Amino acid sequence: MRQDMTRRQLLAGAGAGASALLARPAWSRAVTAPAGKVTVGKCKTYGPELIPTLEKMFDQLGGLSGLVKGKTVAMKVNFIGVRSQRLGSALMEDTFWSHPKMIGAMVHVLGKAGAKRIRVVEGPWSTTESLEEVMYSMNWKPQDILSAADNVEFENTNYLGRGKKYSRFMVPSGGIIFPGYDLNHSYEDCDVFVSLAKLKEHAATGVTLSMKNVYGTTPITIYGQDAGVDEPSIRPHGGRGNVMHFASRPPSKSAPQQMDLTLPKDAGFRLPRIIAELNSARVVNLAVIEGIKTATGCETNYGNPNRPQAAINPGVIIAGTNAVATDAVGMAVMGFDPLAEKGKVPFARCDSTLAFGEQLGVGIRDLKKNEILGVPISEVVFSYPAMMEKLLAAQKKA
Amino acid sequence: MALNAETIPMRWPAGPLDIARGEKVKGFTAETAEVLRKWQDPASLALVQGTPINCLVVSWGADAAQQQALKPLVEKGKQAGLEFVGLIEGEANMPAAVAAAKAAGLSAVAMEGDAPANAGIPVIPWNKAAQVRSTSSFPILGVSDGVFPGLPQAASQAGGPTNLPWVDSNGAPLLITRALAPDKTVWIGFAPPAQAKLAAEAYVLAVADPASHGARWVISLDDQLRADLAAKKQPAADTWKKLIDTVSFFEQHKELRGYQPSGLLAVMSSFAGPNFETGEEAVNLLPRLRQPFRVIARSRAASASFAGLQAIFYVDKEAPDAALRKKLMAFVADGGTLFVPSKWPNPEGAPAPAEPYLLYNMRKVGKGRLAVCKEDQPDPYDTVADIQNIMSHRTDILRLYNAPSSNFLYETTAQGKQGVIHLLNYSRRPGGDGPVFFVKEPHKSARLVSPELASPAELQWVPQETGGAELTLPRLSVYGAIEMEK
Repeated sequence: MRQDMTRRQLLAGAGAGASALLARPAWSRAVTAPAGKVTVGKCKTYGPELIPTLEKMFDQLGGLSGLVKGKTVAMKVNFIGVRSQRLGSALMEDTFWSHPKMIGAMVHVLGKAGAKRIRVVEGPWSTTESLEEVMYSMNWKPQDILSAADNVEFENTNYLGRGKKYSRFMVPSGGIIFPGYDLNHSYEDCDVFVSLAKLKEHAATGVTLSMKNVYGTTPITIYGQDAGVDEPSIRPHGGRGNVMHFASRPPSKSAPQQMDLTLPKDAGFRLPRIIAELNSARVVNLAVIEGIKTATGCETNYGNPNRPQAAINPGVIIAGTNAVATDAVGMAVMGFDPLAEKGKVPFARCDSTLAFGEQLGVGIRDLKKNEILGVPISEVVFSYPAMMEKLLAAQKKA
Repeated sequence: MALNAETIPMRWPAGPLDIARGEKVKGFTAETAEVLRKWQDPASLALVQGTPINCLVVSWGADAAQQQALKPLVEKGKQAGLEFVGLIEGEANMPAAVAAAKAAGLSAVAMEGDAPANAGIPVIPWNKAAQVRSTSSFPILGVSDGVFPGLPQAASQAGGPTNLPWVDSNGAPLLITRALAPDKTVWIGFAPPAQAKLAAEAYVLAVADPASHGARWVISLDDQLRADLAAKKQPAADTWKKLIDTVSFFEQHKELRGYQPSGLLAVMSSFAGPNFETGEEAVNLLPRLRQPFRVIARSRAASASFAGLQAIFYVDKEAPDAALRKKLMAFVADGGTLFVPSKWPNPEGAPAPAEPYLLYNMRKVGKGRLAVCKEDQPDPYDTVADIQNIMSHRTDILRLYNAPSSNFLYETTAQGKQGVIHLLNYSRRPGGDGPVFFVKEPHKSARLVSPELASPAELQWVPQETGGAELTLPRLSVYGAIEMEK
């Protein structure tokens, strides 16, 4: 061991020889990650086939009733980025965002399975607007979701919202970057936490699936660029880049602070660890990845028109009882190797979030060690790398 | 031809006064001075020959040397049908300068402050936006402190609190000036950034930004372009042609100048004294929130129609007079929402539930709502964001996607049958994706006109499942207008 490395750095996999250490960190062996049950369903449209497909998939998982009956459910949806930035003329819900019909269908099946209360949650970019307002701004009808089951409500979790105080979630293993996180009360109020993600790639984390979706639980009032210094700000302004991606400023002092300030300030290093920590601190009880319609080529092009993107229709849904296992299946459906490490697509410039999820005891990414049900993966593979090749070739030709 | 709404002005720096001023500026070169000498030569007028430009704005003063130097230029120009306006700035002997302008046969002078009585020559009030005066009977009003439009040079182009990159636009002062003086043609002055070498698109935007807001830029070229034009360099000629083509484009669509800003929200203020800053900031920020709105000058509020409005943002710290307050409260009682500052005396109505994080306490009045700000000095962005939030996106009449560096202005004819959406791209280069507009109300037709298109393009309405329709535009570098008809 290098004498100039702290124990934390070693655990974090920083410094020279980090990749070798990363593969088998001593501490990871002490944590036993649970295997998961994952099911795959074909669904080409958001039409009448959607609810029966979901019901069949959840039956394959053993039924939702055992999980949600009489319980309060929080379902984190995905409203990423600046809402006015679409992929061409494609609707946001057909590319980057959770689709309102998928949200409505999920609410319906959760309600039908006996959920006592269903709160749809998300931290939409830099606004105090309610989720209803965000949906109106996208020309959606939020009442369709509110009426899909009894006791449905929305909460914007980017700030304190309707709570009196933030809830603290500590990382059971102690964490790598942060020891814990302060989140909106909704994540504590719920008995069951559902991550409803979209099947997408991501510029900083390779893929953005059910684990990465949990990243959006961190309130901007604490983890945003204009978060309060000592206490959370009242209103969310801006994004999480400064605190989370690049560590150019700390979160509000009221929240748990970064433990080792010498760690790399690189998004490809930080985000996989932070996301794994969040998934460890607030475990996802039901992971659902919707790939009916989505986008390839990273979820946003960050204003770089040279990064080709395309709206696609893989026509697939993946659901599981474990976020790491579900994401592993999601990666396989996308044509990636779930066991890929840094340097191999889709983790060309970042660590694998799934690997850290495994090391923090959230779940297992090896498909063979999880129970996979439903439609065989080989029947639904929609190769994102092949699509990227195609797009790059078309771009070159143009 | 007298100066009127059809006059198209261009700043024409020339003569010893401009050279003396230039010499006080860092970076002023002998070459630049030589160009200014060339531009006082009547032969230089060939540049504007055959263009829509019909008025030159020259530096003027009591200084006899300047008057003498410009004499041949003025005489030749007038023979060619050009008007001349003397811009008097920093002049100690105003009466002498004005008298000299009259003697030299200038059409008007432009000067700061109120127009002097009995000047003997038309006077264009030439003031900063915060001090715009409309006391002059002359049909042209000047705003002297415009900004060269675009993305800010110094500031980051990343999103601010509005999530979108900040843009430098003259929209706010021009909308305010139009509201204060609706019967005037507004000229706005701004110079290109010092030592800038600007692409043609920068000049296209410099013309389009004021023109789309119903005003005229007093065209002003950068030193390098002026020098290159004098030297007859081809790239400069190409830039000049684009600039002139843009001016011509707006002349071909001058009917759009008769349209009025439209939206469900009105910003009402005196726009005087300390109220100017607050009012201007709101008018600056609302386009970044993609909120269509109109501006009502408080001095004209008594006769203003509130028809079609859902909400009014009353900006001023001081309460309105009794008659205006009565009119505003009638608007509220009828279902409108009135946003007022914290000092609103004896708020009407009864408290109503509101989300605690909002800047406003809500009160129920008749069928409508009175929203009283909780803070004396609220953050301007949070203020307009909460106004939009309380109004609700349910009622959005327009939405814009995929144009982060763009602003739009929605205007309609008096009867509302025709509408236009002016779209200005302040990045001056096409975005990755074409802009998309959501339009709530059904229209029969929509066509895109732009100096970037050889001919108007019919746009296809794409009906949306939950109502309204969308229009997808081609990628535009600078400017396009969607002309719609119900």
